[in-house]
Amino acid sequence: MKASNLSRTRGGVALSVLILLSAVPTGQHASVAHAGPGSAARVRVFAALPDWSGIWLSAAWPLDVSGRPAGGEAQLRQTLQLIRPPPYNPVWNAKYEAGLKDNAALEAQNATFKACARSFPALMEAPWMFQVVVLPEETLFIFENQQVRHIYTDGREHPPEEELWPTRLGDSVGRWKGDTLVIDTIARKQGPLAPRAWLSLLSDRAHFVEEIRMVDKSQLEDQLTIDDPLALAHPWRIRLTFKRVTEIKRLVDYDCTENDRNPVVDGKMVISSP
Amino acid sequence: MRKPKAFLGAPLFLAVMHAVAHHSGAMFDDRQAVTLTGTVNAFQWTNPHCWIQVLVPGPQGPVEWSVEMGSPSLLLRGGWKPRTLKVGDPIIITIHPMRDGTRGGLFVSATRGDGTPIASPNEAQSRVAGRHPG
Repeated sequence: MKASNLSRTRGGVALSVLILLSAVPTGQHASVAHAGPGSAARVRVFAALPDWSGIWLSAAWPLDVSGRPAGGEAQLRQTLQLIRPPPYNPVWNAKYEAGLKDNAALEAQNATFKACARSFPALMEAPWMFQVVVLPEETLFIFENQQVRHIYTDGREHPPEEELWPTRLGDSVGRWKGDTLVIDTIARKQGPLAPRAWLSLLSDRAHFVEEIRMVDKSQLEDQLTIDDPLALAHPWRIRLTFKRVTEIKRLVDYDCTENDRNPVVDGKMVISSP
Repeated sequence: MRKPKAFLGAPLFLAVMHAVAHHSGAMFDDRQAVTLTGTVNAFQWTNPHCWIQVLVPGPQGPVEWSVEMGSPSLLLRGGWKPRTLKVGDPIIITIHPMRDGTRGGLFVSATRGDGTPIASPNEAQSRVAGRHPG
C-alpha cells in the first residue's frame, strides 16, 4: 500500500483546510511546545483548555455487574452506531450484501469473538471506561484496557509518507476549535469496523474527522465523519456519546490475560475450570 | 438451612444471543434463568471476569457451578468489593445457563442465603457522586 494514499482522500484536503482555518492558531501551540513546561505562554494555553477530567464510558454500554447491558444483545443492536450499515457505493454494497447471505460465517464470528483491544474507531464505542488528559501539546484518551489514543495538538502534521504505515489506531493530530477538539485520523489498518460489524470494511484511504466536545458535565459527544473515496458513496456521519461514570472514582487495572476462563474449543466458547 | 437446589426458571424472552463486554455471549442462553442455592466455594476477583464458584448439594453430593461476572471495575461500580464474598457464605444466584449444558452461566442477580442484598449500587453511586464537583 502506498502511504501517500492515506492522506489523499476525497474530502481529506477540504476537511484539513477547514480544521486549520477554524482551530486555535497553530503557531500558538507550536510556540508553547518550545517554550518550556512552566512558561507563562504554556500556562496561559493550559488554563484556557477545557476540563474533561473524570471517568467516561460509551453511552452504548450501560453495563451492570454481569458485564452486560440489562437489555442484552437486543439493546446493543439499538445503541451501537458503528454496527449500522455503512453508506457504501454500489460496488462495495454488493460485497456487503453478499456477505450478509453467509449467515453461518457471521454466526461463527459472533459466537467466538473476544476483544481485549479494539481498533479505531471501535475503541471509541468499546465497553471500557476511560479518562481524558488534556494538555497543551496533546490530548490522551486512556482506556482501562490499557489502550491509549495520542492526539497531538502541538501544531504538527501527520508524519511524512516514508514514516507512515497502517496501525490499529491510525495516526491522529488535533486542533482546538474553541472548546471542541477536532481530530484528524489516517493510516488505520484495514479490518472490520467493530465487533459485530464483521462485513463493515473500509479501504486504506479511509479518513476520519472527529469533533469532540463536552455537552454538559455528564456527557461528552464525538461527531465522527468517516470518508472513504473507494468504499463510501458519501461521508458517513456518526454521533457517539459518552456518559460520566460517577459510581467509582479511579480506573483500575484491566489485565485481560490474568484469568481468561473462556477458551474456544471446537469452534465454541466454553468455561474452563477455576 | 434451606435445601440447596437448582431449577430452570421462566424464559426471559430477551434475545437469542447475549451481550457480554469482553467476548461473545452466544454461549449463554438468556431465554433461561437458573437459580442456584448453595455456598461459595471461591470468589475470583480477576480480569477479564470475576467468578463465583458455587457448591450446590445434589443427590450424589455437592456439584460446583462457575458463575461469570464482569470485570472488577464493573463490580466496583455495582458496589461489590474483593472481599464481598468469602468461602462458605450461603448464596442464592440466578444465572443465564450455558447452552452446552455444562455447569456454568452468566450472573444475573444474587442475594445472600437469607435473602438480603449482597451489594447496594445505589449507595456506592450516591456516596461517590456526592464528591464530584460536577
